[in-house]
Amino acid sequence: MFSSLCPDPQGRWKNKERVLIFSSRGISYRARHLMQDLRTLMPHSKPDTKMDRKDKLFVINEICEMKNCNKCLYFEAKKKQDLYMWITNVPHGPSAKFLIQNIHTLDELKLTGNCLKGSRPLLSFDPTFDKEAHHRLLKELFIQVFSTPHYHPKSQPFVDHIFTFTIADNRIWFRNYQIIEEDGSLVEIGPRFVLNLIKIFQGSFGGPTLYENPNYQSPNMVRDTSQRVTVSKSVPRAKR
Amino acid sequence: MAQDSESASDTEDSDLELQDAFSKGFLKPGLNVVEEAKKRYVNNVVGLEQCLEEFKKNIEWIERLDMTNGPAADIIALTEGKSVSQERSDIDPDDDFQREMYFYRQAQATVLDALPQLNQQKIPTKRPDDYFAEMAKSDHQMHKIREKILSKQISMEKSEKAKQLRALRKYGKKVHTEVIQQRQKEKKAMMTAVKKYQKGLTDKLDFLEGDKVSSKTKKEGGKGPAAGIKQNKQGVNAKRKYKNEKFGFGGKKRGLKWNTKDSHDDVSSFRSKVAHSKSNSFGKGRKKNANKRPGKRTRQKKKNQAR
Repeated sequence: MFSSLCPDPQGRWKNKERVLIFSSRGISYRARHLMQDLRTLMPHSKPDTKMDRKDKLFVINEICEMKNCNKCLYFEAKKKQDLYMWITNVPHGPSAKFLIQNIHTLDELKLTGNCLKGSRPLLSFDPTFDKEAHHRLLKELFIQVFSTPHYHPKSQPFVDHIFTFTIADNRIWFRNYQIIEEDGSLVEIGPRFVLNLIKIFQGSFGGPTLYENPNYQSPNMVRDTSQRVTVSKSVPRAKR
Repeated sequence: MAQDSESASDTEDSDLELQDAFSKGFLKPGLNVVEEAKKRYVNNVVGLEQCLEEFKKNIEWIERLDMTNGPAADIIALTEGKSVSQERSDIDPDDDFQREMYFYRQAQATVLDALPQLNQQKIPTKRPDDYFAEMAKSDHQMHKIREKILSKQISMEKSEKAKQLRALRKYGKKVHTEVIQQRQKEKKAMMTAVKKYQKGLTDKLDFLEGDKVSSKTKKEGGKGPAAGIKQNKQGVNAKRKYKNEKFGFGGKKRGLKWNTKDSHDDVSSFRSKVAHSKSNSFGKGRKKNANKRPGKRTRQKKKNQAR
């Protein structure tokens, strides 16, 4: 398989990526656990206290600078129901805003796999990521954020799990699998979520809009339309 | 001039201006509705490309460890003989199993491609057994998972056993009732046949043969039980007769005379042999020494004579 069991101790950590992972106030328990799971899986991440949503978003750039981070994953919770995620390259951009749905955390008993804490992941992308310009941008952003740098002091030298990003139904599906055997048998570790792209901005937390997702419907709109449907169903009954 | 109910347009365009526009041919008669401009979604491809170029990091693959590939071959579909060529549009996001299998196969393909490259670059992928380090999920969590799986297995097995038992019991009961019914039928048939024979309706003893096939067994079967039945009949007859007399038709009436003229004249219980015999060992003359042993002298005489 490979000759030496001991990892190369002389390797120097060159790729200085640091990701700031934190959330706003009013976050639900599921989202909070998701955030903690991501912090566990990414040893190059830094935590921070909850931010008040009343502050403007560009304040986050300053926070990142103070913590010496060049990437940021910011979870914004609205109405205690909807969870949005900002993924940004801090000083100059770009940034993308997503709506997160279908969250399953590491604690779910149906996700039976396990991996070393801080081990480096393989990243797997769908071929669709190479087709559209905005997908290519997102792919580069994901690679820079989610891949653990080589020889990071908190990382483990083994590669034993794999993140997959797939595009289906105009959304990005994230899965995390544990590699059991060399022949490709996998078990899911978790967490799981679905990203629904809203907008891509040129700057970090602002700037001109580069891309807007035409298939995106805000959760308020979704609730509104479903309510209208139920109301229209009940009106004829009232008229009788 | 007909206008729509947009209050904004009324304030913006005055009547004079509208008349002007109409004369120039910009407005046509009829109801003019302000058309809402279709929402245009921003897709600044050039900007996106530029941005990508700016922030792209040209680092080695070993730092990134990323792969882009489609899913691996679907083994299940192959074995079932379905079409192997999977198109992208085939993923139905609502079909959970298909979707998850697609993700799984994509990950598999990446693993199959990437592991040889990792091995080349001497990056370990297998954790040795003596390497203990903190895992993403704690031991407690893994223990819980294992327990859950075990309990599921046990409950499934239990339900399987219970189902089987129920089915067995049902079947057993069916068989049991069938056997009982069969026996009762046979018994009934036999009894009716016997009664027929008793009443003299049939001479044949065919019913005794039952379902035996060979002639030998038929004969044997015919004789034994027949004789037994005859004897039985006679025995039954005498006993039956007595009992019928005593109890039949309400039994003997009490308070009847018994020393009547008829009973006096009835000499059926006279046994001449008994009456004319002179032996003392019958009736009243019966003595204990009825079978007396002869004396010593007589015995010796007999003995001498026999020699």
